[in-house]
Amino acid sequence: MASNYLFKGFSMILTNVGSVPGKKIVEHFGIVQGSTVRAKHLGRDMMAGLKNLVGGELKGYTELLQESRQEAMDRMAEQARQLGGNAVINIRFATSSVAQGAAELFAYGTAVRVE
Amino acid sequence: MLEIIFRYPDLSLFLALMVIGYTCGTIAEKRHYKSIIKREQELVKLMVVNAEGRFAEGAVRTSFLVNGSTVVSNDYFKRLLAILRNVFGGRVKAYESLIDRARREAILRMKEEARARGAHMIVNLRLETSTIGRSANKKNRIGSIETLAYGTAVVMNRP
Amino acid sequence: MKFTPKHIEGNVNVSKTHPLAELGWLVGGLMLLVLIFYLLLGVSTDIAVAKIPVSAEVWLGEYFIGGMDALESEPLQKLLQPLLDNLPADSPLHEYHFHAQVAENEQINALALPGGHIVVFSGLLEQAESENEVAMVLAHELGHFAHRDHLRRLGRGLGLTVAAIMLFGQDSVASDLASKFFLVSESHYSREQESAADRFGLELLVAGYGHAGGATDFFARVGKDAGSRIPYLLASHPHPDDRVRELQKLIAANGYRVDAVIPLGKDLQEGLPVREDASFEEPVSGAEK
Repeated sequence: MASNYLFKGFSMILTNVGSVPGKKIVEHFGIVQGSTVRAKHLGRDMMAGLKNLVGGELKGYTELLQESRQEAMDRMAEQARQLGGNAVINIRFATSSVAQGAAELFAYGTAVRVE
Repeated sequence: MLEIIFRYPDLSLFLALMVIGYTCGTIAEKRHYKSIIKREQELVKLMVVNAEGRFAEGAVRTSFLVNGSTVVSNDYFKRLLAILRNVFGGRVKAYESLIDRARREAILRMKEEARARGAHMIVNLRLETSTIGRSANKKNRIGSIETLAYGTAVVMNRP
Repeated sequence: MKFTPKHIEGNVNVSKTHPLAELGWLVGGLMLLVLIFYLLLGVSTDIAVAKIPVSAEVWLGEYFIGGMDALESEPLQKLLQPLLDNLPADSPLHEYHFHAQVAENEQINALALPGGHIVVFSGLLEQAESENEVAMVLAHELGHFAHRDHLRRLGRGLGLTVAAIMLFGQDSVASDLASKFFLVSESHYSREQESAADRFGLELLVAGYGHAGGATDFFARVGKDAGSRIPYLLASHPHPDDRVRELQKLIAANGYRVDAVIPLGKDLQEGLPVREDASFEEPVSGAEK
């Protein structure tokens, strides 16, 4: 059973394969996309600078990107909800740096209704 | 008053550029969005999925690769906002609109090309973004954004 | 599998904030941040600078004076002497060896350099008409030494630059903006220093000569050509007319006498380095240049 993604009280199924395993797709609505651009702030920058000396995981950045990915998925799910779907299939992620110190997180997939 | 302008020319130039950037940028953005929404409503019937299509034998007449791409740049005012954002962190709202426009425009151009060649749907959509331009990847400079949308357009054997 | 085409209304991928509102928040936040650092830095440099010993300052001064093309001037040193003799006994200025020097420069200005060097530009000497005026200028510079203004300004400037680079990186727009804010407040600080030096100078002049004649002549003359007050909003010195007014207020408040001034001696003019196109004129008191 596919696990549900809960946001805003809605239950949205997300998969990155071409179908929802175990369910039948009855209707589809086209592409939905969610994106967000986030910048780091000075505090994280200085910690990252320090880590460049001693090495190790940049926890600040990991958290930042994790939050951004969550927000991108939320926005994509919101578009799917507006179209009337209850699942998004074939999800792909893309990260790119668009401005100095800012990264764009992008998620896209196909909105469908499954039963 | 004019004395102050002449005494600090770089400050006055900076303010003038900000005002020009803001007004022209806002006008261009509004116009672009209007055009995008209109064309999206026209082309909404052309199906686009990013799954791989599986088709029955003989259902497809022909298929070909279609793509659409855009390069968009931001105005001076928005660039300043993005740089200031770097101090405090958080969402860079100035760039969200830019990327959204670029991406939707790229998808629209791809759809228009497919429609012009008589396709009924587009499968296996992929989207790519990158920064290009002379100032991209340099420290403290912001380049322009290129978005590419590509997929396989399919012409069905409809009766 | 049915395909239902539908256009998505609204735009989830763009935030609703108006860019001008965002600019307001960001700039406000930046200014607040800068203000806090500025105040902390200002207070700490003021405290630190006051502790620098005079011997260290003299050592530093050798570098500054080396860069200037200045000649020792005996007559000018003689003018300085009555002022030095009348310093209060507990003044820190007694630790300095003051050297009064002249530099060839058209500007009407005088400098106080670290280590006790006072450099007067030849332009100022040519403009001046009385001994008392020049003595007032020297006394004003002594005031800067007493308050260690030049060290304070150096320390603040250095501290602010380092802080801006650390916070914003070297070439960022944010550090440019920050330094433009500093311009306004540093010039205000500088004007406060100048007024304090004026007050010190007036007291010393009165102690040395017995009266306050000649204190305001110099500024009054410069004030005639100074024009409007607007450029002085960001200048390092107050407007000359304002300085004249402040000095007159002090003279009235303290009841100083204003007696006749001593005209500038020819030997002081002779102290200037000779120029190629020099045609020596007799200094006539009251003559306008």
